[in-house]
Amino acid sequence: MALLDIRDLVVRYGEIEALRGVSLTVDPGQVVTLLGANGAGKSTTLRAISGLTKPASGEILFDGKPIAGLGPETIVRLGISHVPEGRRIFPGLTVKENIMLGGSNRRAAPSELSREADAMFDLFPDIRKFSGALGWTLSGGQLQMVAVARGLMAKPRLLLLDEPSLGLAPVIVQALFKIIAEIRRTTTVLLVEQNARMGLSVADYGYVLETGRIVLGGKPDELWGNEAIAAAYLGGHAKISA
Amino acid sequence: MDLVLQLLFTGIGIGAVYALVALGFVLIFRATNVVNFAQGEFSMVAAYLMVVFSVDLGWPYWLSFLLSLAGMALLGVIFNLGVYYPLRHRSFLPVIIATIGASILMANSVLAIYGPQPQVLQGWFDTPGIQLGPVYLDSQYLLIIAVTIALVIFNYWFFEHTMLGKKLQATSQDKEMASLLGISVSTMIMLTFIYSAVLGGLAGILVAPVLFVSIQMGSTIALKAFAATIIGGFGDVTGAIIGGLALGVIETFGAAYISVPYKDGFAFLVLILFLVFRPQGIFGERVAEKA
Repeated sequence: MALLDIRDLVVRYGEIEALRGVSLTVDPGQVVTLLGANGAGKSTTLRAISGLTKPASGEILFDGKPIAGLGPETIVRLGISHVPEGRRIFPGLTVKENIMLGGSNRRAAPSELSREADAMFDLFPDIRKFSGALGWTLSGGQLQMVAVARGLMAKPRLLLLDEPSLGLAPVIVQALFKIIAEIRRTTTVLLVEQNARMGLSVADYGYVLETGRIVLGGKPDELWGNEAIAAAYLGGHAKISA
Repeated sequence: MDLVLQLLFTGIGIGAVYALVALGFVLIFRATNVVNFAQGEFSMVAAYLMVVFSVDLGWPYWLSFLLSLAGMALLGVIFNLGVYYPLRHRSFLPVIIATIGASILMANSVLAIYGPQPQVLQGWFDTPGIQLGPVYLDSQYLLIIAVTIALVIFNYWFFEHTMLGKKLQATSQDKEMASLLGISVSTMIMLTFIYSAVLGGLAGILVAPVLFVSIQMGSTIALKAFAATIIGGFGDVTGAIIGGLALGVIETFGAAYISVPYKDGFAFLVLILFLVFRPQGIFGERVAEKA
């Protein structure tokens, strides 16, 4: 059974229909990448899954149970952790405090959270020395590392990553995707990316979203093979045939 | 010199009251992005609760004190559920208007029960004070200062060294992100209202024996406390405390050396000077971090 099963999801912002019937599945143990241009509805899809945005219609099944319409505080307790666009690190708290708060969905003693946060630095050695630094003092790459570490503290069964590579230097993007490859051993990941090449490099399956609709789904090599898609989203050179 | 020390003591004592109310303003503002214009009425209601328990019912002072604070915690819950919660998804304006409405409701409810004549509340101690060298230390002012110091320490410990304090900070910095981590935002805001109501109530109970217990005491204290938050740097906890103390000292010295009738005017003169020359307040830069 799929870990996440989305059927005919429709999300409206006022008059605007951001998602017009999106269906996708994520199987346990997979990394699934959602590709698409700006405004295609990638972030909206993740926001609907984590409960930040209420769907107008459609179903979201997590582990077979409907979760559409539940609040974010409930959904993260069920085991879906959302690392949103823009990192959203609490600027006035330290790196370690930010990471520790990632465990707020579980019943864990502060001392336990502290130990787990320290252990998290093994996966993210680059931010270990900033443990006591306030959030606002960090660079974009460091913030993204903290954001992913914080998301993992929830011990999620499904991790939602929204554009982790956005605005980062190529070398940092590579370090980040190495970590994502590490994460996939233990956690199922739904990854949203504009950087198709990186996004598909770690994926088992990919979907392409276009103006609120899934236009294509397939294994990474199948997506690369589709000339029109390669041209439009993956930076290929083939001509788009109408 | 003796007079200076004496005035400094009195000024810090009255400033501590402003600081407590200012702290309540800041905590609610940080959690909800709304200025609670009923913050001063929390002080007034608590002082009247003391009158009910201690004077009218004749219960022991310490018991009345605890019951009044418990009453304020309850008022914090009711205020949150009745005034803030239904409007939480609206813009800040309806919420601010609702807090003004709540303050009018509280003042007039008390007026309906007690009438316009001020009530008298005894201080905690029987001894009026002690002479320390040239300075006479009024016992009530000593109590006010001691409680304020204890609360500032508690406040620091609570927000810097407990997980709950960190969750409250996270909520005030980014509510949506806090909810994504599983922090119950509505519970955090409820706790903030309870804490602020108790802080405001504590200020009212402590200052009541120095002033009279009256319907107007809330708005007088709130205006000074609000000025204190702007002087300190709006939204800054340290700023609220420093601003409150500074305002108390300034108005006490102003009253002694310049003019007693214009005592209240000095606070607002300082406020205007700050608004013109340093609108971000003493700790203003640090507020920008919140963005």
